[in-house]
Amino acid sequence: MKNKFGMIHTWAACLAGGLLLLLASCSGGGDPQNLLTQEAENDRIVNLFSPMEKIDPNAQNVARSASDLTIIMAEEQLGVTVHYNTYTAENYQDKTYDDVTLDRARNNMDDIYLLNPDTLLALGAEGKLMDLSGLACVKNLREIIRTANTVDGKLVAIPQEVVAYGLFVNVELFRQYELDLPNTPEEFLECCRVFKENGIETPIGANRWWLETFVFAQAYAELYSGGNTEAEIAALNSGEAKYSDYMRPGFEFLKELIDRGYIDVEAAATGEAIETEGPDFLAGKTPIVMAYWGAANTETAYGKTDFEMQVIGFPSSRGQMPVITMTGFGIAEGAEHAQDAMRVLDIILSDEALQVYSQTNRVISPSQNVKVDCVPALQPLNDRIEEGVYVLGSNAGMDVEQWGNTCLIVRKLLNGASVDECMAAFDELQNASLDK
Amino acid sequence: MNEKPDKREKQRGLPLLISIILVFCVLGTIVYAVSRKISTKMSEAAIQNLSESLDLIQSTIEAIMRSQAQYQVLIARGAGEQEDPEAYICTFEKSQMMAKLSLIPSGKTEGVSSSGETFTEDGLDFSAGGTVEGLPVSRSYVNYMGTWSYTMKCPVEREGEEIGTLYIEYIYDMIDQFLPNRFYNKQATLYIMDTESQRFVLKPKGMGERDAGHLNLKDFYQANSIEDPEIQSEVEECLGSSQDILFYHNIRGKRALTYMWSVNDGTIYLVGYVPITAIQHEGQTVNQYIFILVISMLTAFLICILLYYLNWRQQEKIRRERESERKLHNRQLAEALRAAQIASESKTTFLSNMSHDIRTPMNAVLGFTTLLAADAENPVKVREYTKKILASGQHLLSLINDILDVSKIESGKVVLNYEKLDLNDIVSSVETIIQPMARAKSQEFHVEVTGIRHEYLVGDETRINQVLINLLSNAVKYTAEGGRIWLRIIGLQQRSGQYERIRIEVEDNGYGMTPEYLEKIFDAFTRAENSTTNKVQGTGLGMAITKSIVELMGGTIEVFSEVGRGSLFRVELELRILEGQTDKVFWEKRGISRIITICADPESRRDIQALMEDTGVHMEIAASAEEGQERLKGRDEGCQLALLDWESGGIDCLRKMRKALAASVPIVLLAEFDAKGLEEALNITGTSILTKPFFISAFQEKVAQMWADSEEPGDLGPVTARDLTGMHFLAAEDNEINAEILTELLDMEGATCEIVENGRLAVERFRQAAEDEFDAILMDVQMPVMNGHDAAKAIRALPRNDAGRIPIIAMTANAFAEDEKAALDSGMDAHVSKPLDMEMLKKALADRMKRDAEKKEFLS
Repeated sequence: MKNKFGMIHTWAACLAGGLLLLLASCSGGGDPQNLLTQEAENDRIVNLFSPMEKIDPNAQNVARSASDLTIIMAEEQLGVTVHYNTYTAENYQDKTYDDVTLDRARNNMDDIYLLNPDTLLALGAEGKLMDLSGLACVKNLREIIRTANTVDGKLVAIPQEVVAYGLFVNVELFRQYELDLPNTPEEFLECCRVFKENGIETPIGANRWWLETFVFAQAYAELYSGGNTEAEIAALNSGEAKYSDYMRPGFEFLKELIDRGYIDVEAAATGEAIETEGPDFLAGKTPIVMAYWGAANTETAYGKTDFEMQVIGFPSSRGQMPVITMTGFGIAEGAEHAQDAMRVLDIILSDEALQVYSQTNRVISPSQNVKVDCVPALQPLNDRIEEGVYVLGSNAGMDVEQWGNTCLIVRKLLNGASVDECMAAFDELQNASLDK
Repeated sequence: MNEKPDKREKQRGLPLLISIILVFCVLGTIVYAVSRKISTKMSEAAIQNLSESLDLIQSTIEAIMRSQAQYQVLIARGAGEQEDPEAYICTFEKSQMMAKLSLIPSGKTEGVSSSGETFTEDGLDFSAGGTVEGLPVSRSYVNYMGTWSYTMKCPVEREGEEIGTLYIEYIYDMIDQFLPNRFYNKQATLYIMDTESQRFVLKPKGMGERDAGHLNLKDFYQANSIEDPEIQSEVEECLGSSQDILFYHNIRGKRALTYMWSVNDGTIYLVGYVPITAIQHEGQTVNQYIFILVISMLTAFLICILLYYLNWRQQEKIRRERESERKLHNRQLAEALRAAQIASESKTTFLSNMSHDIRTPMNAVLGFTTLLAADAENPVKVREYTKKILASGQHLLSLINDILDVSKIESGKVVLNYEKLDLNDIVSSVETIIQPMARAKSQEFHVEVTGIRHEYLVGDETRINQVLINLLSNAVKYTAEGGRIWLRIIGLQQRSGQYERIRIEVEDNGYGMTPEYLEKIFDAFTRAENSTTNKVQGTGLGMAITKSIVELMGGTIEVFSEVGRGSLFRVELELRILEGQTDKVFWEKRGISRIITICADPESRRDIQALMEDTGVHMEIAASAEEGQERLKGRDEGCQLALLDWESGGIDCLRKMRKALAASVPIVLLAEFDAKGLEEALNITGTSILTKPFFISAFQEKVAQMWADSEEPGDLGPVTARDLTGMHFLAAEDNEINAEILTELLDMEGATCEIVENGRLAVERFRQAAEDEFDAILMDVQMPVMNGHDAAKAIRALPRNDAGRIPIIAMTANAFAEDEKAALDSGMDAHVSKPLDMEMLKKALADRMKRDAEKKEFLS
């Protein structure tokens, strides 16, 4: 009986407690006169301009996700809102992302820009970018990063990843035709010949942006690996040496590829990156394409192939050669929210954020303190970079901008210009540079 | 019987359960229907709300564009009024609304911009025909600032003549400032699309997910998996006719409403989607609350059911407990009734038996008395009849004693009389009684005592005797002639140093008992009935009395028996050891300090040594005569006595020891009472026999006797019944018949007696008597005026020399131990129960004489 009463008491106590809680939750205190919720508007905004990848509904854009993670860190720590402004050319007739970037930066449309090497150098030279060397994150950067992004003594941009370009090859096709992965231009041509003879019409998938990587690999293999880099660059800047002399073998090599039909010139002249050559490569029809490191990690590019894929360096006299460029964040000199933009950069480029970024995207970090394992497909490329064997696709130390100009001159080649005409264009650029 | 109600309960429970489930189903259906209705209504309301929001945005953008157009008309008008319109245009600077103003004079293809640059219409596409307030609007394009923009052109007139065209470039980013910051809590996505090119020209801030970005309508379709051609064509149709369209579609796994909203007659469109979860937020919230409400009510309902169930279960439990309690009580009552019936039957049977058993000897008494009267002249017949009358009377007496004993025990009136007891006395008295009985049936009766460490203990000797005699007399009774009976007294491991644990075993190889009888052997009023035991007479109370006494003494009794093989009764008692009773003086007085003992049995050796431990006498123990001789060498003078176990070597051993010992050293032979060859042994000088088992008191008695033999022969002989011839008694007896019988009996013994009627008269008579006029006083106990106890006390208190020493013997029908104790406590010397047995009287007197003699000896 005692237990029974005890149980009833317990139930009664529980019910009474529940009732009190309900009443407490229902009573919302005194009703204010103003029925609108007063929320403090967060007016601290930082505008970020970056390219927009076309969306694949069934794929995760890892690179964007990784960058987003760091942006969220900045927003949480600073209490700012980072707005994305994006642009991507619909076709070759449209303004390029770089064109738009230049326009926007020159008109202070945004605060932070994700800049390709050529725009970075152009805007840096114009004094349109702020000096970032005062940021706390700078002390963690690898030396090469500082060097490649310093214009007129100002550190104008800092990347979240070191972008290494390589050849993405379908190993199974190479194996099928009993071919070794090529090291030199000659071996590369031989591979293309065999593929062509075996019915693969265009062994190389190309777009209008990245064929220049072949040129850089052959042009600067000796310059960056020969032990006399500074002197050779100094000679170029003084006019003692000619860029066209360095560039010629690469252009002749490209010309040969074009002449032998290893590249679909029409597609390469107008096609967008990955969008053009990607489907055939993924379908196993094209054995070789060129792309950046991150493409091997993301499903929107080549992160999920049905065949065995490897990423190797471009053919050169010194073997497989990775081409490294820097796509960095810079802040417009006249940015409306310059201070907040600086703070945002300091956070998204901190070791902590870069660790998250590199971990998510599995790329080479610009911070010397952050190291992550790469995917197996990238191992050959990674091994070369670890050995210190690579060429720079852009170098702020060179008076003639490389990445953008070479790209444009390669397009001339694709559009039918001769190698000599292309070399003349380089000479013209060098002369203009010397005239400044 | 029990299953039927359960089944009925289950049958009742099923419809109830189905009813509850039905109620829940109906309730669930209603709730679901209401929720659906609410959802639909809320969805409709939300769609309405969305449409209104989009209309609002549309109106806002159109208003902005109209303002731009109107402003542009004003500027054009102002320029027309200027002498140099181009210079006027150049005075305008870039603003948030206007990125660039340009003027191309009529008839020219080139003009000037507000930035000072040359301006042409190249790159501007007005072919779509869109207008705002009548001003043509160009197709959208990315301008020099890298942002999407459009240009409106307006004629510049002067005095009604068109002098040029004003072009003003507007950027879409400006519109963003006039749009809401949150659109469905940032869950709705919104783009502004240039209809002609289907390019997305603005993604207003605060619209949709941040990581979503689309180039154009095609990209929007692809990214959001809008692949249904019907939808796409319907969209195209709407775009072509500047109509709005709103449709459901799954976007990234979420159901969403996709919209395309015409602005400015379809020159631009608002494109985007909003997830249903966002649009039906209120409906979902209401549904959630309804759900919570239903769950709460359901929980409350279930709690009520649970409480009801718990309460019901509790009540059911109590009911079952009561039911089982009632059943238990009924069963107990039934058992009690049955037990009472059995007891009643048992007592009826007992009474029937008793009636038979009492009537039988009574019949004999009366019959032989009649015969005696008839044959009074014939002395032979008189003696024969009186002998039979006596036997029948004694049997009748024993029957009555047992009945009274049981009655007393059952009524809890028995009190144990704890006093010093001597195991030797118990064994010898029992042996004295049982041995003749056994011999009469040609049975062998063996007594074994082992492991006893203390002979003198504290306990009720009378009751222990009663137990032993009960068990042994039963053994004799229920064992055929020539059978065997064993009495074993075994000392067990002590639990406490103050108590001796004794196991008494009485075993026989007699008839044995059936298992059924064993179960009720200790119950009162039962008796084994079969053809064999029917020959044996008894009350059937003996075992009940025995068990009761044993339990009263804190002991246990067990029985093991098998028909035809015999029985074993095992009694275990724990008796307190009597401290300080070791009679060292006895030995010292006789100069005995060392005794040589020859005993082959190690256990017996241990027993003897243990019993003699505290006497102060050193025991030289040897297993054989040879060993004994060895021990005696050189120190024979040290041994004053020898104890020889007859079974350890017999006459040879005795002779050897006799030679080895000095002639003055007596030898005590320890032997069974029926041992052979003892006559020869007694011929050897200084030899005496001590009957087994070995006890100190018996040993002392023997030693005392031997020492007396040598010093005062005949002084302390064995107690023999005293001859009453010439003695004169004072008897207090209120019953005249008894008084007469007493007088006659004493007369037959040659004694005389003076009868008084009560205690007071006895006291008075004794006071008046001369000293030693009476040899003893026989005192009845229950008497009028003054009872026997008070009279004895009064006599003892009289100031006379013989008041203390005159033997007073209680003579009463109160035959129990307590009565005897009460008599002794009142100062009487002995207790003789009625009917008076002259032999008992003589023995009591003889005991008294002996005690007097011992006392005298001790005092001397």
